[in-house]
Amino acid sequence: MYPQLPVDFGFTEEHELLRQSVRRFLEERCPFSEVRRLAADPLGYEPGLWKEMATLGWIGLTLSEQSGGAGLGQLHLALVLDEMGRRLLPGPFLASVLAGFALEAAGSDAQRRRFCAPIAAGELLATLALGEPGASWEPEHVAATAEPVEGGWVLRGLKTGVLSAASAGLVIAPFVTPDGTPALFAVELPATGVAVEPEIGIDPTRRTARVAFDGARVGREACLEGPGLEGLRASFRRGYVALAAEMVGGTEAVLELTRRYAIERKQFDRQIGSFQAVKHPIVDTMVGLELARTHALAAAVALDQGAAEAEVAARMAKAIASDVYPTAVRRGVQLHGGYGFTWDCDVHFYFKRALWSRATLGDGAHHRRHLASRLLDDPTPA
Amino acid sequence: MPPLAEEVEPKENAAFRREVRTWMEANRPPDPGFKLPQSFLEVESDRQFEFLRDWQRKIYEAGYLGLDWPAEYGGRGDPLKRQRIVSQEMARAGVPFLVNVIGLQWAGPTILVHGTEEQKRRFLKPILSAEEIWCQGFSEPGAGSDLASVQTRAERTASGWEVTGHKVWTTLAHQSKWMILLARTDPQAGKYEGLSYFLFPMDAPGVTVQPLIKMTGEGGFNQVIFDRAPMSEEALLGRLGQGWQIAMTTLLFERGASEGSGGGQATASAESLRRVADLAGRARRDGRLAAEDPVLRDRLVQLWITEEALRLGSLRARIPALVAERPQALRMMNKLVYSEFNQQLAELACEILGPETNLWLGDPRAMDRAEWPRAYMNSFGMTIGGGTSEIQRNIVGERVLGLPKSK
Repeated sequence: MYPQLPVDFGFTEEHELLRQSVRRFLEERCPFSEVRRLAADPLGYEPGLWKEMATLGWIGLTLSEQSGGAGLGQLHLALVLDEMGRRLLPGPFLASVLAGFALEAAGSDAQRRRFCAPIAAGELLATLALGEPGASWEPEHVAATAEPVEGGWVLRGLKTGVLSAASAGLVIAPFVTPDGTPALFAVELPATGVAVEPEIGIDPTRRTARVAFDGARVGREACLEGPGLEGLRASFRRGYVALAAEMVGGTEAVLELTRRYAIERKQFDRQIGSFQAVKHPIVDTMVGLELARTHALAAAVALDQGAAEAEVAARMAKAIASDVYPTAVRRGVQLHGGYGFTWDCDVHFYFKRALWSRATLGDGAHHRRHLASRLLDDPTPA
Repeated sequence: MPPLAEEVEPKENAAFRREVRTWMEANRPPDPGFKLPQSFLEVESDRQFEFLRDWQRKIYEAGYLGLDWPAEYGGRGDPLKRQRIVSQEMARAGVPFLVNVIGLQWAGPTILVHGTEEQKRRFLKPILSAEEIWCQGFSEPGAGSDLASVQTRAERTASGWEVTGHKVWTTLAHQSKWMILLARTDPQAGKYEGLSYFLFPMDAPGVTVQPLIKMTGEGGFNQVIFDRAPMSEEALLGRLGQGWQIAMTTLLFERGASEGSGGGQATASAESLRRVADLAGRARRDGRLAAEDPVLRDRLVQLWITEEALRLGSLRARIPALVAERPQALRMMNKLVYSEFNQQLAELACEILGPETNLWLGDPRAMDRAEWPRAYMNSFGMTIGGGTSEIQRNIVGERVLGLPKSK
């Protein structure tokens, strides 16, 4: 049912070194003052920092080596995203990672060579458009269409909440082909018939846009050659796990902010953390966080091991993170009292990130619905 | 629902698992024809007790108990993992539990840590063979969550000690040969420093065991009254005044630190979840199977996710780099999460049953012999016993998160 995992989780010295270097780098380069500055910045990220991350090999972390990436696994990525989630690093990292998933899953060798190396080098900013209005976050429910024409395709449909699209030079998106199955297309921007309209998002540390394909003509080579449905499914699966890892990192940061405030703040001549009405919800946040972190790590390992039931693991990771992070930020604002309600208190940035992340790539209820089918309707042994 | 996956395990463990699985299937005890207790908290009658004692002895004689305990004390000196495999396979096979849980899980491991060579040789093997059953004398009417306010006294005599006082919630007291006893040896000393830890013989004169009836109507739970009950010099475990520290060792074991050492893991959550999923596929309510109700499906999956997190967490906890934020967190929160999880699962089972949950023990039409409402009521034994969930949150908050002490 649940995938088999190696007892040591496949964790190595190399994983630890990566985590430490990301942690040190972000501590130095992404203090909260920088997050606040970028939240108000028109571009929303720091191109210099982005370049440095490319030099360090992080942007192409999970891209295969022959595509110009570092060829590392989902567990490596989970550790990196956990650190980024803690610092609320603004920028196109998640967009780029998601686009990489799609290229790896469905791109031909030539397509990967063409796009992946510039992505890894930080020269081409790519994103993956998975949302549509009323989105279901399932590959079966893509509404946008691709119509074959002489020499290529005509794309129609609206993609919403597309990460970093306004800065992107490449958008990858699924479109349903006439045989009823989705195919993934890689469209270089700007392009005629493709309108990118920035959204004013709830989370100022993320930038999203709607991308409207209004009869956009693309060449044959724009269609990723691998199987669209399977490629899309794999991209979703890896996306659930990637976002869950980042959410776990955010929860960790909120727990720490709340914990520290409960120790520092005094009322009635006592530290407020000595009141059980304050202490117990903080403990409950920690408990939820530990359970969510276990799932985020285990799901990453399941993907790395190619476990048959990796989908169960991936959905569990996103489902529990989607409950735990929003609960942690709700308690975080509340337990900071009047200060928690202000712009000055950092917690609201996490609050908004948590809301955005829960609603993206399927929330808890969404994934539990799919898991329930696996538990109750499909009793074949894994 | 498919069988649960175990972690990928080394060949020799996998072979051992197969061996145990085969043995459990071949030696599963036949239905005795009378009601068996759901847990060690409710062993009422002699015939229930003897049935369970015979079963434990049989497992021990087959070589499946005390695997991780040293060979010189009746164990086999194997890695703990092997004992866990036995516990998992017992849960999987759905065979009766091990009746000497308090000996296996709490008293035995504590004696292994704090006992003299002589005490280890004397006490450990009969725990494994179920020859000598153990109970625990910690709680008192005035000392529950505030355990250190224990008032039962042990006073020096010429040949040892004399105990006077009152202990409650003493599971298995009427079948026990020994009790791990927390008593005050120095009323002048501080609340904690005045306590000592004893291995008390239950057949001493001056001991009265009175049954307490649980909310299910079942017994198995007792109070013990001591009226100048004597014990020997050698009954002291550890040093005089070290009682609180040793009691904390026991509580750590009780709360799951030993992860099934000796063979005392009481239940297995994964098996219960599978069984509740199975129940949802049998129980009809609102004109359809409970398994078709979207709300119940959602709640069952929430618990499935928790259950997997608990199981995978025990793997993760062994990799220090993956618990670097709070190395003690998983271990310290285990009792809280596990007991609350079991309670929620049992309650959900009652909801899945719908009106069927209202048929109680003794009604022949009660589904699964009223196992589910009974399990829900019994689940409070775990969320209250061994430190309530509220106390657990204090402990985790203070020791793991460094929050200030609650007054």
